[in-house]
Amino acid sequence: MPDNEATLEIQHLIREFKPADGDLMGALHAVQHHYGYVPKMALKVVARQLRLSEAKVYGAATFYSEFRLTPPPETLIGWCSGLACRLENGHGIRKALETELGVGMGENTADNKVGLHFAQCNGTCEYAPQVWVNGRVVGSLTAASTVKLVRELKK
Amino acid sequence: MAKLTLNGVEVEAEAGAPLVEVIKQQGVWISNLCYIDGLAPYAGCRSCLVEVEGARGLQLSCTARVADGMVVNTEKQPIKEARQQVLAIINANHSDRCLSCHRRVKCMPGDICLRDDVVTHRCVTCSKNYRCELQTTNELLDMGFENVEPWILEDRTYYQTEQPDPDRANPFFEFDPQMCILCTRCVRACDEIRHTSAISLSNKGYTSRIAFGAGGPIQDSNCDFCGACIDVCPTATLMEKPNKWIARTEDWTSTTCNSCSVGCTISVGTRSGRAVIVKPDYVNPVSADQICIRGRFHYDAIPDKQRLSKHYVRRGPTGTPQFPAHWGELVAYASEQLKGIIAKDGASAVAVLGSPFNTNEENYLAQKLARDVIGTPHIDFSSAAPNRAAGRAIEAAFGTEALASDAINIARSDVIVVIADDLEESHNVFSLRVKDAVVGQPVAPRSGKLILVSSQRGELADFCEPYGGVWLQPRVGEEALAAGALAKADGEVALLGESDLVVARNLLAEARDPSNIVSIIYAPHPLDARAAAEGAKAVANLAIALRGDKAAESLFVLPTEANANGARDMGVDPERGAGRVAADASGMDFAGMIDATHAGTLKAMVVVGDNPLMFAPGTPRIREALEKLEFVIVIDDVMTDTAKLAHCVFADVPEYAKTGTFSNAERRVNRLHAALDAIGDARPALLALTDLANALKPDAFAYDHPDAVTDEIAARVAGYEPFTSKFERWSKARVAEAATKSETQTVGTQPAAPADGQLLLTTSRTLYTSTDGAAVHAADADKLHREEFVEMHPADAGALQVLDGNDVVLMTEHGELSLKAKLSDRVQEGVVFVPYYLDGGAVCGLIASDGAPIAVQVKVAVAV
Ligand code: SF4
Ligand code: SF4
Ligand code: SF4
Ligand code: SF4
Ligand code: FES
Ligand code: FES
Repeated sequence: MPDNEATLEIQHLIREFKPADGDLMGALHAVQHHYGYVPKMALKVVARQLRLSEAKVYGAATFYSEFRLTPPPETLIGWCSGLACRLENGHGIRKALETELGVGMGENTADNKVGLHFAQCNGTCEYAPQVWVNGRVVGSLTAASTVKLVRELKK
Repeated sequence: MAKLTLNGVEVEAEAGAPLVEVIKQQGVWISNLCYIDGLAPYAGCRSCLVEVEGARGLQLSCTARVADGMVVNTEKQPIKEARQQVLAIINANHSDRCLSCHRRVKCMPGDICLRDDVVTHRCVTCSKNYRCELQTTNELLDMGFENVEPWILEDRTYYQTEQPDPDRANPFFEFDPQMCILCTRCVRACDEIRHTSAISLSNKGYTSRIAFGAGGPIQDSNCDFCGACIDVCPTATLMEKPNKWIARTEDWTSTTCNSCSVGCTISVGTRSGRAVIVKPDYVNPVSADQICIRGRFHYDAIPDKQRLSKHYVRRGPTGTPQFPAHWGELVAYASEQLKGIIAKDGASAVAVLGSPFNTNEENYLAQKLARDVIGTPHIDFSSAAPNRAAGRAIEAAFGTEALASDAINIARSDVIVVIADDLEESHNVFSLRVKDAVVGQPVAPRSGKLILVSSQRGELADFCEPYGGVWLQPRVGEEALAAGALAKADGEVALLGESDLVVARNLLAEARDPSNIVSIIYAPHPLDARAAAEGAKAVANLAIALRGDKAAESLFVLPTEANANGARDMGVDPERGAGRVAADASGMDFAGMIDATHAGTLKAMVVVGDNPLMFAPGTPRIREALEKLEFVIVIDDVMTDTAKLAHCVFADVPEYAKTGTFSNAERRVNRLHAALDAIGDARPALLALTDLANALKPDAFAYDHPDAVTDEIAARVAGYEPFTSKFERWSKARVAEAATKSETQTVGTQPAAPADGQLLLTTSRTLYTSTDGAAVHAADADKLHREEFVEMHPADAGALQVLDGNDVVLMTEHGELSLKAKLSDRVQEGVVFVPYYLDGGAVCGLIASDGAPIAVQVKVAVAV
């Protein structure tokens, strides 16, 4: 693989990491910290530097859910999977989100504007059912208000 | 040795051996869906449960180790039921409907299933039906008859989740992850057996999947399609693509791969006389369970219709058409013409070419035809020069070129020196054994140190420094100098990095320790005889410096082509007869034949399996010569460029339809048994040679079967005594002789560096291009289209404003070649690389007849 600007940049980011098992996580974190995600191309660069195969790096990067291999969407909707929200029609909210966005859980819209991901209860159950829009709680949702919210975000 | 009781029978086994292997060796069947013999247990499938008396609960036989006095039961009903329950869980996430059905043997793909719908995935409609380990496991555990349903209440996760898409995007493998049981055998085979690590277990929990490289299509990963993963996959997930649906074999035949001089033993599966699948044949302990893409897939590199099914004759001058001919007519015409030329110009106006792709039997008869029947001393093969030059240099050093070094030792070496362009590409399974020596396997780690002397960055380069070895990167053509520098304990060598040389020399101090196993592996350039000779002298010197009297036991000189050593052992050599003894009269080598044709003294040529227009450097001049010859006979199984110029073309059968022997790089005599039927009218070359000889000289050859030739070779050729036709399969015996001396020689320098600003063109055998495909210029001779490029270093490309993928023209003083450029750091700055076989050896048209790297100009092609 001949080096180009992008690979050189990644090489610079991970320059201090050496071939040792413990360094793989560090290197992936460094890449994700810089780009917001781990570009596919970076797997090769990391693999070469740490003398691992690309497949091993991929296996590790997909095992840990904190690494993402696609750029984050502009807006990230976290759907609460907690008990209180479920009792308050959380599942209906999920259906509304998926239908209106046209994507499933864990996916982004084709234009990468909005993404939907699975989240755990954060203790603010008084606003159930709720989602987090880029970390901000939007609570006491109904199916209708969810659809409205999504339409706003998609604009 | 430990004694244990297995199902009431007392057996002996090595203490500490994996119990599961011992159970299997005793002929007791045990399910073991995630275990690979010889590797560390993964203990993931839990299907190998057995009872070990005294232990708490059932034990996994893959992790259990044999101990003296162990009492093991596998067959009792509760143990079997435990295994059935485990299998039921695995089945729940598999298209299992047939697996728990007692009717499977009665169902055909089109039948309405009594429990399901015909369109549902199930064994009956699966490509692996009847050759599937998961299926067999179910059957032997009576899942159908004892009606063990998956999970409880027939809850099948398989039918409740969306299944991942298959990857069918490459010509060799199909990867259908919906069939995967996540046993991870493929991951471990690729990692621990091949040292490639192209596969991983990605994601986790319910989304766990097998993934190649970065999760994309297989061909985007670093997989090199060896197929080791396919061989261990217990399901239909990983399968060969060309034969996925047709490999219901009627027969298996053990024979030898003809694509390089490693000589892997393969097993060809056939149906109706056609090859449908190839697997490694374990009988050979060097190749063992491994082969490379060429061995596995090149059996069908070209379709049958591109092979010769008719014989041809051309009675008019060069350029007029060839017409199909009957055998008898052709034999009569060919012999008449040859007789005419012999009467007119004498027997020495005729030359014969053998081939490194021929069997020993064919080459033996080719030289016998030349020397005894025609009476000419001119016998050679077109790519012989480098192989012969290296052989003679080795002989000068040790008194014989049939060295005692045994390839079984490569994987056990403590120090390995490899001097090659890219051993991974030219001699794949030897390269694999080098990697074995460096890393071994988790259960038996090794720490051999690799000193790689290579101008190209091949895969082996990654097995040097990280494991304490070193990669010395001399300039193209300076490999001999580098080897020479290693032989000395000190002294400056400008061409190598100072520190690397120091590391290498320190490692070589270990190689001097007589208790260590050392392998020095040299793969001479396929075309450049001078470089091959100097290189061979240098590696012989190195071996002597390191190992003294035992030098010859550590040194391997690997010819490029499969049977090049055998060809010369059989006397396809203008100076040496069969057994490499001096010939009664010495003849012209191939270059001499071409000169003599131009001079008008050579008039006719009998070409037995050779194709000088593909294999020999300096094509234009060779083509002129072939056109000038009065009479050319070609025996081949495809219409090669050379055959197109011939007056008589005898259609030969493909290699895997032949019976005979090959002598590999270490002169191990490997057996070929005919697996295929002939296509159309084609007849084995041995028959053409016999009929031709008898037409020239009555009763010259009295062979009624290839075995008769094999037996004559065993009786007459020194070293081949053990290999009579009774010799069935791989043999420990080789044609090796004890060295009679250890003499160092002076190594000449190699004038390689081109003038400033000029690039150097070089070539070598690459992994993917098939010999047969290249010979007929097939558009997919390299089915992955990985090698259809001139590779150049980005720095050179930048200076010439060549971009990756640009169409470029290469120009030397001998010719031009248009192709696409690929920027790559596999080649050095100042060097461009074109694969040897690309487009039928097109690169040979650009280099001089000495085969040496040559100055080349590269220009971006102007669109017209
Ligand atoms: S992979 Fe084996 S068990 Fe699975 S459907 Fe195919 S034949 Fe049956
Ligand atoms: S074919 Fe060989 S290199 Fe490719 S994934 Fe399978 S084992 Fe690995
Ligand atoms: S692809 Fe085959 S070998 Fe690999 S994990 Fe799946 S079933 Fe096992
Ligand atoms: S390593 Fe050589 S002999 Fe073995 S399969 Fe590959 S090409 Fe054939
Ligand atoms: S359950 Fe949704 S916030 Fe707690
Ligand atoms: S073979 Fe023992 S657990 Fe899979």
